[in-house]
Amino acid sequence: MDLSAAAVVVLQAGAVLLLAPLFAGIAARWKAWTESRTGPPVLQPYHDLVKYLRKEVVLPTGASRVFIAAPTVAFAAYVVISVVLPIATPYPIEVASLVDFLGGALLFGLAAVVTLLAAIDSGSNFPALGASRAVSFAALAEPTLIIVFFGVAVISGTNNPYVTNNVLASSLNAYLSPTHLLVMAAFFLLLLFETGKLPVESSGLGEFGMLDEGRTFEHSGRLLGLFRWNGWLKQFLLYAVFLNVFALPWGMLSQPTVAAAGFNLIVLAAKMLLLVVVLVFLEATLAKIRLFKIRDYLAVSFSLAILALFAFAVLGGA
Amino acid sequence: MDSTITIEALLGIGMLLTALYLQAESFLDPMVRAVAVQSLLLAGLLLWLAYVDRDVDLVIVAALVVALRVAVIPYILQRQIRAFHWRAREVRAAHRVAGHALAAVALAIVAWFIFQETLAPALPDLPGIALPFVLLAEGLLLLATRTNTLAQVIGYIEEENAVVYAGVLFVAAFPLLIEMVVFLDVLGVILVAVILSFQRTVIGIPEEELMEELSG
Repeated sequence: MDLSAAAVVVLQAGAVLLLAPLFAGIAARWKAWTESRTGPPVLQPYHDLVKYLRKEVVLPTGASRVFIAAPTVAFAAYVVISVVLPIATPYPIEVASLVDFLGGALLFGLAAVVTLLAAIDSGSNFPALGASRAVSFAALAEPTLIIVFFGVAVISGTNNPYVTNNVLASSLNAYLSPTHLLVMAAFFLLLLFETGKLPVESSGLGEFGMLDEGRTFEHSGRLLGLFRWNGWLKQFLLYAVFLNVFALPWGMLSQPTVAAAGFNLIVLAAKMLLLVVVLVFLEATLAKIRLFKIRDYLAVSFSLAILALFAFAVLGGA
Repeated sequence: MDSTITIEALLGIGMLLTALYLQAESFLDPMVRAVAVQSLLLAGLLLWLAYVDRDVDLVIVAALVVALRVAVIPYILQRQIRAFHWRAREVRAAHRVAGHALAAVALAIVAWFIFQETLAPALPDLPGIALPFVLLAEGLLLLATRTNTLAQVIGYIEEENAVVYAGVLFVAAFPLLIEMVVFLDVLGVILVAVILSFQRTVIGIPEEELMEELSG
């Protein structure tokens, strides 16, 4: 690996790690505007993070090493994912050949599983309740994710996000094919579910419908800080996949230089701001659906994903 | 895949999506709007094919579809919903969105397999030629699963959409004839609906319980 390629890898990982809280802050601020509030400063997530990292860690009685290690393991998984996706480059960077789409999904799965184990390991009722709830719905979301990968695979003939990006960016017909549009729609519904957005989950504090936040109730100090960071990373990475692979694959420079990668990151940031606007709009207009209706929501996303494959078959490879 | 087929495919899959929505929706008002959207997509497809094939007949069919299925029928259906104070919501379907959506998808796949085995060998090998057949099956499913008469009328319109769609895809010269026949069909349904509505406003419905039974 030459110096420039290594620099691109470091740039991409660093950008993901450092920018992830920023977009959470921007989203919170803009959402506050839609509610006629001033809202927290854009940099609030960074302040929160620093505060968490300084605070004392309190462990529940009987918590084992799983409880302590979980945030770090999940964090490591997200760091790996951050260097295998087309975030700063439309060509695979040096370490990108570690995993394909499915491998990326497994890493997301690993992060989710250790978070769940930590919740159960806390020995407390509330995180365990959150964990069981999260799993009941995640189990319904997983088939959609797999079918979405099949959809991607039939569009591009591979299971590689970079190839998908290139195929979609270079062919308008591939972009406008029903298979791709349906896969994109299914993935968008999944994205809202996975990042805990309305209509699935409202981001208020400690309400009973929450799926994600409940799991980390017993964690404190830097462990909680890491979990928060993980949440932002997951959100950033899913946004990046949605934007750079599915929705807006255009506008990336393919020169293997640090400057081009930096430009691509700025383009991605612009796309992400657009996505944040859309999400804030959705959050401002949609009401939260009842807990048991989440099943219906996921069934719809699953139906769309299946229809994507169906469209591919019926239209004879379109 | 060239762009002509892309547009055809998008409109066809769009119609299928509205069919899926119709299956999952438990309120009548949005169902009426959805079937109007479906008809609009059909009209769009007809216009597109008219442009591609330079065929004036298809323009007439498209105009008929818009006039009848996008404007008149949804208007009358919505008047019926208000006039009859029919259940605006199909309560029994309300809790089964997931089941209905998945059943619709499963049926689409089954219908496609049936089409491949039976009709496909006799028809030209065009992309999306199975879609009208699938749409027809979805309309049947709507008719079979709903108990509300207006919802069934909507299923019927969906089937008629499928028939016109099939006409335009299978045989290019066919659709004007089909649309005329369908026009008369639908006119009959509307006449019955209007007479029922008239009966209700003028003489009331003494046998209301009987009507309820008929409607459900």
